[in-house]
Amino acid sequence: MIEEFNVIVAGVGGQGILFTTNVLARTALKMGINFVQSEVHGLSQRYGSIRTELRIGSEVHSPLILEGTLDLLIGMEPLETLRQAPYISERTTVVMSDHMIVPMAAYLSRFRVPSLEEIIEAIKSLNPKKLFTVDAYGLAEKAGDYIAANVVILGAAQASGAIPFPEDLIREAISELSPARYRDLNLRAFDLGREASLPR
Amino acid sequence: MGDLLAPSGTLETLLGNEAIARGALEGGLNVAAAYPGTPSTEIGEALSLAAKKLGIYFEWSSNEKVAAEVAIGAAWSGLRSMTMMKHVGFNVAADAIFTLTYAGLTGAMVIVSADDPHCHSSQNEQDNRHYSEAAGLPMLEPSNVQEAKDFTKEAMELSYRYKIPFMLRTTTRINHQRGPVRLGEITAKGAIGKFEPPEPDRYLQVGAIARKHHLELLKKIKEIQGISGNYARVEGPHDSEIGIITSGVSYAHVKDALRLAGLEAKILKIGMTFPLPERMIGEFLRSINTAFIVEELDPFLELRIKALAKDYAPDLEILGKLTGHMPQVHEYTIRTVLEGFSKAFGVKSPIDFSEIDRRSSKLLEMVPPRQPILCPACPHRSAGYALRRAAGRAVFMGDIGCYALLFQPPFRVEHVTHAMGSSIGIANGVSLATQQDVVALIGDSTFFHAGIPALINAVHNKRKFTVVIMDNRTTAMTGHQSHPGVPYDAIGREAPSISIEDLVRAMGVSYVRIVDPFDHKGTEEAMREALKTDGVSVVITRRECALLTVRNIRAEGKRIVPYRVNRDKCTYCRVCINTFACPAFVDTGSLVEIDPAICFGCGACVQVCPYDAIEPQEGSINWRDDRVGV
Repeated sequence: MIEEFNVIVAGVGGQGILFTTNVLARTALKMGINFVQSEVHGLSQRYGSIRTELRIGSEVHSPLILEGTLDLLIGMEPLETLRQAPYISERTTVVMSDHMIVPMAAYLSRFRVPSLEEIIEAIKSLNPKKLFTVDAYGLAEKAGDYIAANVVILGAAQASGAIPFPEDLIREAISELSPARYRDLNLRAFDLGREASLPR
Repeated sequence: MGDLLAPSGTLETLLGNEAIARGALEGGLNVAAAYPGTPSTEIGEALSLAAKKLGIYFEWSSNEKVAAEVAIGAAWSGLRSMTMMKHVGFNVAADAIFTLTYAGLTGAMVIVSADDPHCHSSQNEQDNRHYSEAAGLPMLEPSNVQEAKDFTKEAMELSYRYKIPFMLRTTTRINHQRGPVRLGEITAKGAIGKFEPPEPDRYLQVGAIARKHHLELLKKIKEIQGISGNYARVEGPHDSEIGIITSGVSYAHVKDALRLAGLEAKILKIGMTFPLPERMIGEFLRSINTAFIVEELDPFLELRIKALAKDYAPDLEILGKLTGHMPQVHEYTIRTVLEGFSKAFGVKSPIDFSEIDRRSSKLLEMVPPRQPILCPACPHRSAGYALRRAAGRAVFMGDIGCYALLFQPPFRVEHVTHAMGSSIGIANGVSLATQQDVVALIGDSTFFHAGIPALINAVHNKRKFTVVIMDNRTTAMTGHQSHPGVPYDAIGREAPSISIEDLVRAMGVSYVRIVDPFDHKGTEEAMREALKTDGVSVVITRRECALLTVRNIRAEGKRIVPYRVNRDKCTYCRVCINTFACPAFVDTGSLVEIDPAICFGCGACVQVCPYDAIEPQEGSINWRDDRVGV
């Protein structure tokens, strides 16, 4: 019986964030567990900061996660992962892509963008339960297309042990939600992600 | 991802907006019409899918007023109809809706108003609950996806019973919430009605008749008030002295906050927020010592509850926005409610928010802001680039669409983003009030929505300014809906397309040019000429939305092959970043690279580099030269 399990998937619009969240929600449905998910649609999708929130459990009502109560943070991009700092606490497992996407505005305003290592140190200062990084885009390319980077990270998150669902049900959900031409690609990406996360 | 048409009894995962669509289908919907607008759009998308399978009618109308009138016409012909709009869309439709409540109807009609507290995708956070009372329009407010479905069906049934339109008022966090929904029976079908007013003057709102109908409306609202309590419930310990009154998504935040804070309180959850279940509220007020009102935006419930308390419980302490315990702006979260509890009852929050703020604020300073920007390969970027070069000193009236993002550097070709069609409308005023060069930027869908009357006005009144119609062959910002300028309709059938160039020529616009924005030089030249023209000039920048082009390329089984920067040629002059700002550019500190995971391989940036350092790779196509996306 899961009372409350909170997930944020954060990244840049266009990275397949909604798909990743939907896979977990669908898995919850398969297990007969209540959930509520909050999504972003509309203009903010256009390469802006995006965060979907998924709350799973018998006691959840609000579609929005309370700061300090996050269980799993799936970060599709390091800066966007760090942007979730108010949510990260000792109960949070962080699984993050190591591929930085620097916002154009930072180049134009000459904002000093932190390095990946600085971001990792910053996240560590919040004492997360665990922190993993994964070469999501490299592995997605190996699987066949960059487009599957989101599923690589999902695989890494599954391997981290933080997701309270069995692997086969997640695979099933990926199969069901993938358009036919991406199904095999996504399953390959999921397996590569499972094998390749790097504990930090 | 859920099946909208799954059989009765199934538990399906639906988006709030899909649940609303399903509720309408269970309420016997025959006709629906809407103009897309976040956060309401997916209701129409869902109905467009359903229309193909169930034979009901759905259209994307040219604007919200027309959509409402389509639904009114159907409801006056005995059918069950629905129209859906974002909160500001209601302003456009309001003229037709205010008089509709006087007229009533013979079928049924549901009006969905999707409000956007926090302006996630909007220009204001107006609270449309006021429309309900102002127009005499009964209103239901769901608190989760299950209720979104159930209340829509209920609204349809109630509308049919009381012969008056019902409003379903939602907020973004209901529309864009996803969760399990227990489904009921679909009864929607295609139908032919008959226009037959129940009385000869029923639909004729002229003075004497309208005066009579206003009285009837007030009576009807009184009658509906009698059933308002059916949509409210009291939860929690009966003898609690604290009573929370709430509705909509705020109820969900309250539920979590009460559990986390361990606060003992009972809840009065209201589903029909106009007309209110006054007696039920009054009795609730009598049973408590302190009322705490939790509602987003304006103190709509709070003011009415205060008025009721005068009769029922004059000494009751009522806490909310007016007492400073809850904010009157932006959206609520569990935290907002917990902080309200702390202020009101001294309850210690289970989470130390000041500690969280303290340790995260320094880390957040490290993170650069990331506002939405135009996609890679977006034709608007090229149009903005050309416009900046051609008309650097003009003042730019922008409009509602993705191109509103051109207000950002390095383009800065939007000084105004206001309301649908306001680019041309306000250009009328600025061009007469000043001697500045004035440019209005408007998208194709927005032009059909509200740009046409403003342009006619400009020609007739001999204004001088330039209109750039950024025609990307779709309603892009809301996710690619059809509009009157494209050759297919809302459910993908062939449809007559209205030619923008023929339309503007017929208005008497003398200078009309159509360009491919990916032809930077040609676009810039056309804009320079247009600005020199006396009178109203129009440049149509025509190229399909890049996301559609990418989708089509992938659907053909082809791969997107990114461009790359030749390291030997790149001098790190940063002209590409400083003038074109495609999100695929990466500044390494010594040269510029193209991120292959972001580049869509359009090739437009090749024209921007003064050193010809941007090159195709094996398999790359050039969208302009290869005529892709035009």
